[in-house]
Amino acid sequence: MRKIVLVAWREYIETVRTKTFFISVFLLPALILFFVFGAERLAKLAEAEKLPPRRLAVLDETGRVFEVLQQEIEAYNQRNPNRPFALEQLLPQACGGGDSPAASAREEPTAAVRNGELYGYLRIPAEVLVAGSAAACELGRRDQQLAARRDIEQMLNRAIQIARFRSVEPPIDPALVARLQQEVPLIAIDVRTLRVGRDDTVVRLLTPFGFMFLLFMGTMQISYGLLTSLLEEKSSRVIEVLLSALSPLQLMAGKILGMATVGFTLLLIWVGVGYQVAQTRGYDYLFSRDLLFYAGLYFVPGFLLLSSLLAAVGSACNTLKEAQSMASPITIVTVVPMVLWFSISQNPSSTFATVLSYIPPITPFVMILRICADPDVPIWEIVASQILLWLSVAGAIWVAARIFRVGILMYGKPPTPRELLRWLGRA
Amino acid sequence: MSNALVVNDVTKRFGQSVAVDSLTFCAPSGQVLGFLGPNGAGKTTTLRMIMGILYPDRGCVEVLGQQLTDAVKDRVGYLPEERGLYRKMTVEATLRYFGRLKGLRGRELSRRIDDHLARVGLADRRKSRVEALSKGMQQKLQFICTLLHEPELVVLDEPFAGLDPLNVDLLERLLLQIRQEGRTVIFSTHQMEQAERLCDRIVLINRGRKLLDGTLAEIRGRFNARMLVLEGEGDFSALAHRPEVRQARVSSGQARLELRDGADLDALLHQAVSLVRLRRFELQRPSLQEIFVRLVGEDRPQSDAAGSEVGCAQDRPGRLA
Repeated sequence: MRKIVLVAWREYIETVRTKTFFISVFLLPALILFFVFGAERLAKLAEAEKLPPRRLAVLDETGRVFEVLQQEIEAYNQRNPNRPFALEQLLPQACGGGDSPAASAREEPTAAVRNGELYGYLRIPAEVLVAGSAAACELGRRDQQLAARRDIEQMLNRAIQIARFRSVEPPIDPALVARLQQEVPLIAIDVRTLRVGRDDTVVRLLTPFGFMFLLFMGTMQISYGLLTSLLEEKSSRVIEVLLSALSPLQLMAGKILGMATVGFTLLLIWVGVGYQVAQTRGYDYLFSRDLLFYAGLYFVPGFLLLSSLLAAVGSACNTLKEAQSMASPITIVTVVPMVLWFSISQNPSSTFATVLSYIPPITPFVMILRICADPDVPIWEIVASQILLWLSVAGAIWVAARIFRVGILMYGKPPTPRELLRWLGRA
Repeated sequence: MSNALVVNDVTKRFGQSVAVDSLTFCAPSGQVLGFLGPNGAGKTTTLRMIMGILYPDRGCVEVLGQQLTDAVKDRVGYLPEERGLYRKMTVEATLRYFGRLKGLRGRELSRRIDDHLARVGLADRRKSRVEALSKGMQQKLQFICTLLHEPELVVLDEPFAGLDPLNVDLLERLLLQIRQEGRTVIFSTHQMEQAERLCDRIVLINRGRKLLDGTLAEIRGRFNARMLVLEGEGDFSALAHRPEVRQARVSSGQARLELRDGADLDALLHQAVSLVRLRRFELQRPSLQEIFVRLVGEDRPQSDAAGSEVGCAQDRPGRLA
């Protein structure tokens, strides 16, 4: 046991000291912090820049929309003083004749857009005022700004609707319509905290993913760290010196223990950062103690399972490339919850989600998704999945220990699956 | 005299090939045992089984009077053929780690580290990373990693391979020092001249089986065949075909003749004097190198009568099919 702890301690110290660990610890939280705090500010910063008015030529064939649109634009410009529009009316007569009236009407303004005189042009055909009309308006412009297109579309639609209300007999008051159409908000009430009125749909949606992602990163990254450290020991031939002092099983146990501690450190830092962020943003009720407890409960066996399998792979291979290709089935399986997280967290008690919970390598990830999405997952499911998980940990360690003992001194070609099976049979 | 190491009827197979075949030998305490054999003879496999890195398919190994347990491992030092250290660790951290793995701790460990670093002249590099050391320095560091815990049995696999002459000299001095302190050394090599200089006892194996075992004096004594060295002016080639001569190496002005048992030395000398003008003649015992080449050369897979004249390998085991 003393030797196992020694190996674990060295593994821990040497890993925590590396640049890679430093980067992985701080890069991920830094990215999260950036998305939570930074991106918004950055976007505001970009919007603070004052742009010249965007000149928009309008060919209003109805003769009624332009005026209303002008009012909409003015209101818009007041709300967005940094990025105003300027409207210009094009008169239908100004356009020359041609084969098709629409095509010839386009000619002049599109040329002006192309050479940069105009930001864009808008053509409003006469038919749009007819109730139930399927006629479309045309927008030609220089850039691909999504927001501008959306804004123009909204203003245009409002203007056309108002014009339609006014054009029927007797005319309808658009202000009245707006009041009648006033939308009713839907307030979210948290049934557990009894809190009222906070719109946290997106945060709620993302919390399970966040937890699973942390667990996933912690497990995968550290397990692969174990793989590379084993390969390094093998290629630098330290392994034989080590094996003269301790048994292969002690070595493997020590390395897994050390790396598990690294993983725990990593998770503690990440969860700590996440907790801080949640606190400052007022989402602390999403970080319940239970959830943290379950994260730990599933991290430990999940990590042991994956890392012992990867330790077996690492001991049997000599280069990272060989190891990666041999570990690819494991990697592919573990990616499943990453792909299916949405449907699992949306329907945490579906048969689909329940079945996925009992596939050992992904059990921890699926379970944490389900518990996050619905804290009332039946207790028997938690017990059953834990039992299954620990049984497979025992199995994986048994398999890994056997492969490890044979593979650790093997150099040259990596073994075929059949050879691996034969190693299992050896005493 | 007790034995620091007993290898008893050990066999190890890898798939179809038999790497070590019913091998039996022992290393008396306080002696230096040379473990000789050509490449692929099974030396490394045997040493790994002694260290408990590989497990024998049959037979047993007894180290320091008992089965190899964790506690016993702490009393053994091992230098593998393929050497390696953690490149990113410092010299001191490396020694501390391996020392602790071998059961050292606390002040005793620090004292030994100081002492051993000074002994090989690395005291000023203790804070350097291993990757920053020259190859020669890494070799020295590897020696003291093996010897730091002052093991009672030191097992070295090809310790002299790839060493520069200075480190060869250093290692030889370390080995003799270990022997003076009454500790046991077993090392494998195929440099006969070194084995002759350092070893009290020799075990020679080929194709997994023992060919020869004994002290240097015993081994030389067992070989009745002696070497006659002649120097002078004239043509020695006629001597090569005399019945007394088993094998001959003749060059201009010199002949090295290996004599058969009971050869009539007088008759041979008479003819030599009649043929050439002799300047020197000397009767020599065969060198270890010559014994090695002869034994291994005769022990070819096809010739089942191999080594019929060799009376040294007692109770030679039958070959396994």
